[in-house]
Amino acid sequence: MTGVKEVLGAVVAAPLGWLARLLDTPLRLWQRLAGQNGMVAFFLLPNMAIFTVFVLLPLVINIAYSMTTGAALFLPERTYVGAAQFERLLRCTDYTDLMTCQEDQFWIALRNTGTFVVLQVTLLIVAATITALILNRALRALSFWRAVFFFPVLLSPVVVGLIWRWILDRNGVLNAALVGMGMDPVNWLLERNYAFSAAIGVTIWAHLGFFALILLAGLQAIPRDLYEAAEMDGTKPARVFWRITLPLLMPNMLVVIVLALIRAVQVFDEAYVLTGGGPGTATLFLTQYIYEVGFASLLKNPGLAAAASILMGGVLIVLTLLQLALGRKNERKGKLK
Amino acid sequence: MSRVMGFLTRRKGGTGWDWTDVFTFVWLGSAVFIMFGPALWLVMSSFKSPAQLSEFPPTLLPYEAQVVTVEGYDRPLPLFSVTDEAGTRTLAEVRRVGTVAQMVDPENPTEVQRINIANRTPVREVGFSWGNYLDPFLRFDFLTYTKNSIFVTGVATLITLLTNSMAAFALSKYEFRGRGFVVVLIIATLMIPLSVILVPLYSIVSGVGLINSLWGVILPTVATPTGVFLLRQYMLTIPDELLEAARMDHASEWQIYWRIVLPLTAPALAVLAIFSVVWRWNDFLWPLIVLSRQEVYTLQVGLNAYAGELNVQWHYLLAMTVITMIPVVLVFIFLQRFITAGIAGTGLK
Amino acid sequence: MGRIQLHDIRKSFGAVDVLKGIDLTVDEGELVVFVGPSGCGKSTLLRMIAGLDQPTAGRIEIDGTDVTPRSAADRGLAMVFQSYALYPHMTVRANMAFGLQNTRMPKAEIDTRIAEAARMLEIEPLLERRPGQLSGGQRQRVAIGRAIVRRPTAFLLDEPLSNLDAELRVSMRAELSALHDRLGATMIHVTHDQVEAMTMADRIVVLRAGKVEQVDTPLNLFNRPANLFVAGFIGAPGMNLWAGQAKGGSVQLDNGAMLPLPVGLAVPDGAVTLGIRPQHLRPQAGGPLQAKVRLIEALGPESVVHADMGAGNGLLAVLPGQPDLARGAVIELGYDPQSVHVFGADGQRLG
Ligand SMILES: Nc1ncnc2c1ncn2[C@@H]1O[C@H](COP(=O)(O)OP(=O)(O)OP(=O)(O)O)[C@@H](O)[C@H]1O
Ligand SMILES: [Mg+2]
Repeated sequence: MTGVKEVLGAVVAAPLGWLARLLDTPLRLWQRLAGQNGMVAFFLLPNMAIFTVFVLLPLVINIAYSMTTGAALFLPERTYVGAAQFERLLRCTDYTDLMTCQEDQFWIALRNTGTFVVLQVTLLIVAATITALILNRALRALSFWRAVFFFPVLLSPVVVGLIWRWILDRNGVLNAALVGMGMDPVNWLLERNYAFSAAIGVTIWAHLGFFALILLAGLQAIPRDLYEAAEMDGTKPARVFWRITLPLLMPNMLVVIVLALIRAVQVFDEAYVLTGGGPGTATLFLTQYIYEVGFASLLKNPGLAAAASILMGGVLIVLTLLQLALGRKNERKGKLK
Repeated sequence: MSRVMGFLTRRKGGTGWDWTDVFTFVWLGSAVFIMFGPALWLVMSSFKSPAQLSEFPPTLLPYEAQVVTVEGYDRPLPLFSVTDEAGTRTLAEVRRVGTVAQMVDPENPTEVQRINIANRTPVREVGFSWGNYLDPFLRFDFLTYTKNSIFVTGVATLITLLTNSMAAFALSKYEFRGRGFVVVLIIATLMIPLSVILVPLYSIVSGVGLINSLWGVILPTVATPTGVFLLRQYMLTIPDELLEAARMDHASEWQIYWRIVLPLTAPALAVLAIFSVVWRWNDFLWPLIVLSRQEVYTLQVGLNAYAGELNVQWHYLLAMTVITMIPVVLVFIFLQRFITAGIAGTGLK
Repeated sequence: MGRIQLHDIRKSFGAVDVLKGIDLTVDEGELVVFVGPSGCGKSTLLRMIAGLDQPTAGRIEIDGTDVTPRSAADRGLAMVFQSYALYPHMTVRANMAFGLQNTRMPKAEIDTRIAEAARMLEIEPLLERRPGQLSGGQRQRVAIGRAIVRRPTAFLLDEPLSNLDAELRVSMRAELSALHDRLGATMIHVTHDQVEAMTMADRIVVLRAGKVEQVDTPLNLFNRPANLFVAGFIGAPGMNLWAGQAKGGSVQLDNGAMLPLPVGLAVPDGAVTLGIRPQHLRPQAGGPLQAKVRLIEALGPESVVHADMGAGNGLLAVLPGQPDLARGAVIELGYDPQSVHVFGADGQRLG
């Protein structure tokens, strides 16, 4: 193992080392000219330049963009319309009937995403918690079992989508199994409710291992002697779970829930490859809506897409702040101990 | 064997069967099936011929129809097992008309028999359609897609490691005005997903002329706040005295960076490198937006385009899905320990 | 080669003045030790000389050249750190070679220098190991070796022995002294162990709160401390210091004891502090000092007696052998008046 590592290290390091040496003399000169602050600037420049152009600038432009209309791509060429795009997104004649909304697609996507978030996160967290609890039972071959659950996490969303599209195909293996058991085959991806459930199930399949792993780390951090003390007191296992395990796991659990929410709100690639948003609009989610309005549809409306993404960003920022606050709180607790 | 049984029947506390034991077994047992099953099924299916793929119910293993070369016929003839009043025998099909097939006994090629097709099943054995893997590379653009994916993954990871580590170095080892501001800025943008800035990012990338260029895919992803954050946390643990010793040793600041700090940050760099490779290999939405010409597609975009065609050629699509999966599976097999430790430690994905 | 001069060096971190104007000359080939209580600015001063920090004001000269604006690398000095600061990812050999490679020295020359230093420090068998595989003492030698190969104009050592156990510290102390004799190079050594300072130094610089209290040879410091602080700081156990009123050639303490002063020393009448080293007290029936024994530390060849003289005045005496004393006993002590130190109301030495 070390041999492999060292060989790999040498292979990567040799050309880089050569490059670094090449830069040595010019940078020494620069250091003489510009001093230590000049070197700090040099070290920061590449990352911060890219960061500014491709992360910060878009964030700022996005707001301006959402207040313009037209098909032109560049901001200066676009027409200012104030809050019209937001109004268009949010205006409905009758809020009990989404079909009366001006952008009914947005509302459908919003409703679908909302339903998806609630169902997917609930099921995902429950499944991840159960998995973590089971893995924490001092199993033998823990690393094997961990690998079992973790395996899909690294797969690309496109691969995940295609794997399941193949399995859920009308003539796929799942229907074959149903028929084998004497049941009727199901049109998994062509019926609204089945397709929606499939999107939930597949995303859970793909991310379960990640969340179980974080929860497992939390479980493993609970001191063993607490359990031993409870055992000495003759506490019942169920009570141990509710009174010791769950409260001590809570800080981790909250972070995991928020993280799962953040991911679920942005759901796109797996579902898109799996169902393409269909049948009809049954699995049209917010990110896909933004993608289609902004890039894919015939009547592109980048301003509208920007407005929608700002609304989505707002939700995400709230969730992120929540997560940072929770993380901060955990850190403080950790320090107190 | 007894070890396996011992393992399988191990229970909580060692005595009696608790309901939790049963539950654990059911959960883990189905997990192996549900987690590994789909990927295995994909691999099996990817070796099947188009005809076999359209069979229902599908067979577990890929099969190939047996053929024989029969005297008097130019091309090899498919073999069938025939069962009728005359008993069971193996015949080769010459021609089929409606529900009746003209068949010959390979041993006795001159006598043509007429067999109802309901009375016969093809003779086949396990065989792999390697063509599923070769054709997309030879006849379609998958070789280009693969090259593009490798280029994007490799270059993006290298740039990520370089720029992130340089920034992390400056932010952890130097005192300068505005340092706190930059750090806060980076932490604040940790969680801003691409999907929120799609539209303006597209206009910027197109403004610098990188639409339909692999660089347009690479650049927006390399300044990851996550990477800077991770590396900075690690570099903060390197004692400043080492840097001062190097300064006394005539080292320039640049040398301190690459001869002292970088080697000592190797564990964190490895974690970031692994994640970066997986991220960039798997990226989908952004490449999908930036790349609209076939010759610049990455594998993920290419696969999606292929899967979106009216007549999906599943035999090629499945094989290419397997190809796309391979690097990630390799990373998983060899570096699992690194990754799980990295996630548990940082919540990074 | 190796004369270091400091002119009015000042350093502030924000509003805190850490160094308050330091003037000092370290001569060529001299081994100078900085001592002082923790936090007095020893490391800060050393880092300033090294060039790792810039003084807020003042000038540093090496061999007559002003090096204040120069960076650490260009001052030709070498430093040994308290934590050794060996590069953990490099072998011992690479650690020693690093600084030389940076000056583009030919490889052959580097190899000879490393071989020479390794022989001198007896670390030849360790050259291919990494710092993590060495003991504390071995790391110490490597750190010194890394400084030696550079052939610096001066060595700067910041508490290089404080991470070693007591026994190793004593032997390394001797080795460092021997090394200094052999190399003949200027060395500045920081410590807060005064035994280390006394045994190694050509001259000692006593620092307190960012100021130089006294610069002198170890024996002069011991025999003629310039002020109360140095008197109390140098020597173990610490000097007896008693406040009293001088009157006509002797001093009256608060408890009434009348103590004679050295003959020929003109002390104006008024408040003074009298200092006598514990080693200079001896039993004397009817002597001027009477005290009640509180604690006896019998060390074998000598005994340290802690006693009370009343009115809050304590007394420490180091008596030869193992005197037959019990706790609570009253002892009477005398001394040679010539061994007494007298300090005025401003804390400065009189005479
Ligand atoms: N970077 C800094 N910022 C603010 N104050 C500092 C800094 N470095 C040192 N100080 C302060 O300067 C004073 C002198 O520190 P220095 O490290 O020189 O002490 P020292 O004499 O070496 O002590 P020790 O014997 O404990 O090593 C201390 O009070 C310390 O708190
Ligand atoms: Mg110090």
